[in-house]
Amino acid sequence: MFSQLMSMVLTEDFLFSIIRITAPILFAALGAVVAEKAGVTNIGLEGTMMISALLGMLVSYWTQSWVIGVLAAIVVGILLGLMMGFFYLKLKTDIILAGIAVNMLGGGGTIFLLYMFTGMRGNTGALSSANILIPTINIPLIDRIPVVRSLLSGHSVLTYVAFLCVLLVWILLYRTSLGLNIRAVGENDHAASSVGVSVNRIRYIAIGISGALAGLGGAFMSMYYSQGWNSGMVAGRGFIALAAQAMGRGEPVGAMLSSLLFGLAQALKNKITGLSGLSSYNYLVASIPYIVTVIGLVIYAASTMKKVKKRQTKAEEK
Amino acid sequence: MKDKRMTMFNFVRGAAAILISLAVGTVFIFLTFLLAEKHYTFGQCLKNTGEALRYMLVGPLFKKVGGFNTMGLFQILAAMIPITFTGLATCVMFSANQFNLAGEGSVMAGGFVAALCGIYLNMNTGLHAVVCVLIATLVCGLILLIPALLKVKLGASEMVTSLMLNYIIQYVVLHFLNGTFADRSKGSTQTFPFQATAKIGEIIPNGSKLTWGFVIAMGFVVLTALFMYRTRWGYAIRMIGANQSFAKYSGMKVGGVIVLSQVLGGMLAGMGGSIEVLGRFNTFLWKELPGYGWTGVTIAILAKNNPIMVPLAAFFLAYLNKGCALMSTYCDVPSEMIDIIQAAIFLFFAAEQFLSGYRQKLVVKNTRADLMKTAEGRKV
Repeated sequence: MFSQLMSMVLTEDFLFSIIRITAPILFAALGAVVAEKAGVTNIGLEGTMMISALLGMLVSYWTQSWVIGVLAAIVVGILLGLMMGFFYLKLKTDIILAGIAVNMLGGGGTIFLLYMFTGMRGNTGALSSANILIPTINIPLIDRIPVVRSLLSGHSVLTYVAFLCVLLVWILLYRTSLGLNIRAVGENDHAASSVGVSVNRIRYIAIGISGALAGLGGAFMSMYYSQGWNSGMVAGRGFIALAAQAMGRGEPVGAMLSSLLFGLAQALKNKITGLSGLSSYNYLVASIPYIVTVIGLVIYAASTMKKVKKRQTKAEEK
Repeated sequence: MKDKRMTMFNFVRGAAAILISLAVGTVFIFLTFLLAEKHYTFGQCLKNTGEALRYMLVGPLFKKVGGFNTMGLFQILAAMIPITFTGLATCVMFSANQFNLAGEGSVMAGGFVAALCGIYLNMNTGLHAVVCVLIATLVCGLILLIPALLKVKLGASEMVTSLMLNYIIQYVVLHFLNGTFADRSKGSTQTFPFQATAKIGEIIPNGSKLTWGFVIAMGFVVLTALFMYRTRWGYAIRMIGANQSFAKYSGMKVGGVIVLSQVLGGMLAGMGGSIEVLGRFNTFLWKELPGYGWTGVTIAILAKNNPIMVPLAAFFLAYLNKGCALMSTYCDVPSEMIDIIQAAIFLFFAAEQFLSGYRQKLVVKNTRADLMKTAEGRKV
């Protein structure tokens, strides 16, 4: 059984699936990174992904164009982010509660919206066709090199965008004045406001960007990953992304690495579920990604704790 | 005088938040008819919306041809049982500023553990049910030790761990439900039926499912309120929620209290789940998280973390839930409407600055009145 698993894991197909599964988590994790850098905990990522996944899918069906669908998903993500921002910054709703509200809209609200727009219940199975799904790109030459090709070639457009976004978010945060402002606001909003930075404006922008990234993640889920929308589709990826942000120490590259770890766990789960001898354990196997997330968080938290303690003892020795 | 005005203000504010939420819901109901495939005219849409609203807002308690619906009232009270418990659980955890969201998982775990005890233990009537509930309560308390200890010892966010825990609990329960404890003689996935001794009976045997669990729930409302406002532990929990640093520097054992609040939350939610399962069903058949945990969060917000207000909030949500179910049956509007309304309530009810201009005016008015009084006092 173990050898059976090993032979399944050591394939190019497995590498490919890790990249594919990581992408939506990565989008949301980057969204969490940008928001958290501005001092905003965006737990509405899960709901944002659900809603933008649905509306992206529907718009691409109505327009028969996946590009417009993806753009719609981004716009929906931004709008949801700004809505959370409005309640959080203007009406002073607790950001966690605003996030839970968005998640509620994502849970039941999407089912309602789907029925409202199409009369369908629970999923969009009948809608998907090739031209409204996100296309894949085969990179010439590279698609002939074994192993490397499964990492670099044949992925969907948005998969490349996801990994490109790591670089873009890094540039945004560390090479632009907006990024400097975002970090300043997150570090100490009073200090930032005392030198003339509009704290609220920066937070609106950060949470909007966060929403846009989650929207991309949602579009990826419905228009590529599961080729249609259904109510259990996102399955906690928005929450896992929060963990990836924490484990990645709030940095884009770190978030990418921890997203890859969670992608690996999910891919492993998918593989084990396919094994014949283990079918009676399918439900336990399904919990692997969530358990790995908790373990990852624990290891990260323990290591930071150790460092803090070390620093404290050093300071005391001095 | 001053307090009276502010209470009045809080009441108006809450009512306004709920009205706005219902208005948002109404817009979506209207849109559902407007976009429906049957191509209603504008007038028909308005008429249908009115009809749907009638089912949602009046339907749960009043029959179509006049007359009070007693059975409906019993059913609403019955539906209050699990969400009262999750509401209390959330109140205790949120009071300590612990955003632990594992109430959802605790309900499922509690229900499952109680069901197993109900099937496999042999005891006398009465005692059996109590033992089942107690074991379930304990188990859920232990489960929530995980996020609580991780938070206190390592500083890991209780929110993320508790959310992950919900999924883990769901899959572990499903594993045992489909494997070890499955009743394979039935078409659907379920356990064997509980023994009759473990059932929690109805107060009036009329099929409304209003069990003695309701009385227990109300008892725990009082107990939780006494705990939060009349004991030093409750005080410590609220103090940590209000200002953790202050609590720490005034010598409170912050870590212990944080653990306590989350474990108590888990126990309350688990108790709710076990009472619901033993009261409402004859066998365990939840195939997914039942959703009571999230409703509990809404209730805690409506009650502003005050246990005494929980039954009122629970009644409101149980009523609305039944209304949405009726609307979905008779008017072809999905019952998920409740989630949209709940989300709107969340946003507006928890908004501190909502109607703040109006409050400002009230404060000014109050101060003026006070100044007048003191001035008059001086004259005399």
